Amino acid sequence: MSARDSRPDAGISRRSLLLGAGIAVGAAAIGDTVGQAARSAERETAIGSATEPFFGPHQAGIRTAMQAHGVFASFTFTDSCTVSTLAGVMKVATTEAERLTRGKPGLSDSDPELAANPARLTITFGFGHRVFALDGGALANRKPVGFDPLPSFVIDELDPAWSGGDLLIHVAADDPLTVSHAVRHMTRVVSSIAVPHYAQRGFVRAQGVAPHSVTPRNLLGHVDGVANPTSDADYDSHVWAAADAGWFAGGTQLVLRRISMNLPTWDLLGTTDKEKAIGRRLSNGAPLTGTSVNDQPDFEATTEDGLSVIPDFSHMRRAHTGEGRQLFLRRPFSYDDGFAADGTPNAGLLFTAYQQNITEQFLPVQQSLADFDLLNLWTTPIGSSEFVMPPGCNSGGYIGETLLG
Amino acid sequence: MFTKLAAFAAVAGTAILASLTGCAIAPSEASAPVVTDVWIRAIPDTAVDGDMTGMFMTVENPTDEDIYLLGGTTDGTFTPRDLDAHEVVQDANGEMVMQDAEGGILIPAGGTTQLMPGGYHIMFWELSQPIPVGTDVHATLNFSNGTSVEVHATAMTVEMGQEKYVPSGAGMMP
Repeated sequence: MSARDSRPDAGISRRSLLLGAGIAVGAAAIGDTVGQAARSAERETAIGSATEPFFGPHQAGIRTAMQAHGVFASFTFTDSCTVSTLAGVMKVATTEAERLTRGKPGLSDSDPELAANPARLTITFGFGHRVFALDGGALANRKPVGFDPLPSFVIDELDPAWSGGDLLIHVAADDPLTVSHAVRHMTRVVSSIAVPHYAQRGFVRAQGVAPHSVTPRNLLGHVDGVANPTSDADYDSHVWAAADAGWFAGGTQLVLRRISMNLPTWDLLGTTDKEKAIGRRLSNGAPLTGTSVNDQPDFEATTEDGLSVIPDFSHMRRAHTGEGRQLFLRRPFSYDDGFAADGTPNAGLLFTAYQQNITEQFLPVQQSLADFDLLNLWTTPIGSSEFVMPPGCNSGGYIGETLLG
Repeated sequence: MFTKLAAFAAVAGTAILASLTGCAIAPSEASAPVVTDVWIRAIPDTAVDGDMTGMFMTVENPTDEDIYLLGGTTDGTFTPRDLDAHEVVQDANGEMVMQDAEGGILIPAGGTTQLMPGGYHIMFWELSQPIPVGTDVHATLNFSNGTSVEVHATAMTVEMGQEKYVPSGAGMMP
């Protein structure tokens, strides 16, 4: 692998940085109070008024540079859900989602005032396994290759409350109120065919805190998402379903896992042990055999004592299965939902893997981690879900049209 | 209870108003209001959801004259009835009730009026078949300046208040 930018897409950040610089220089040069006030107001709302495009060959919210706040809202189909009623709902859901991402209230929005600040809102749809069982299995032969339920792993302690679901609406934005409103409205929009199952809420750093080019850190303190696809070629070969995938071309398969972290025992470790557990340095995410975050790890390197510099049990070593298909997009959000009943932090990671083929890409990596990853001592998967994310659509079309239409 | 007589009274009233304003602006010269964001409350099951629904939209009046949205017509796919312009108001007992918008729904000169749940709406009576979510419902809206506008409404789920219908013509009955 070549050195990889850790961020799905850095274009937005460059643009907003340039905008910010332009504002500062302009204001200083003019020295005009009125102009300054106007520019100040513009600067104050720059994050809120920013938008991400909705239409396109792929759904937004996947390759999009990560927003600060994300919710994975999963729904269960009711008896009213058929291929036909689902298609009708997806038409409306697409209309409403596209409006919200532009900062326009939904047509049936009961709180239109809350829609005014899109803050790079994206709304991304996925279907669970049950979509292929609707109408007596009418769509069964259209299930994408590799989209099968994951087996159970020895490390799993899965709670059904955090697992599965028939319809996913993934909402993300740089503002938590915007996210809350969008989840609430979209829940109403789909209510004729689906009822809420779970909403997993997570976060990364807020806008303006760290450059987009810096890989986010998880609650263990480690950078998370270093070896991600970056180029169009990476995405076409590993994330987006290929042109010969029929209705699914341009879509992707998502594994969402809720990883609980045992932070009190992790915090007992010193820096050296924390770095050995992962195989990377805490300071900058560099592999223990390198100096910068994008250096390729050298798994053969040994110490004077003959021990591996990157331990065999480390998370990074276990995740590198040596197979060519191991690359997938990780876009993880942290969660911190206060204290558990025993007083320990109810915190962890909403791990996501976006890929062409779960069976070929995520499954072997996860099997390797489950078998022999030291990090399993401090992390426990407590939820697991798989969704097919249909391709994007153009104006006049709707998400899911190629499957349901 | 909505009676045919009341309906006649309402229609007659708006027809008179339409003809009065029609004198001021000849239909051929009149500008039609701009109608956007049209949707209709979905009725997936008439046995459960009832046999009536409301259509909502944003109406902008680009002219210098007040215009009234009088109601509308359809091709009969979903209802045999003409479409009434309704408002939701508080009655003397403080209850919210639905009634005919007397003289139509005002779209002020140079202004915009929102039709939305709990307020102004275009009423569909006696639905002859369900309107599932995502259905495209076609209608023609008629305005007091003699213009009409063709609209397509997307059917969407919404929880509605249960305002009781009070025919405004009831008190005028002989």
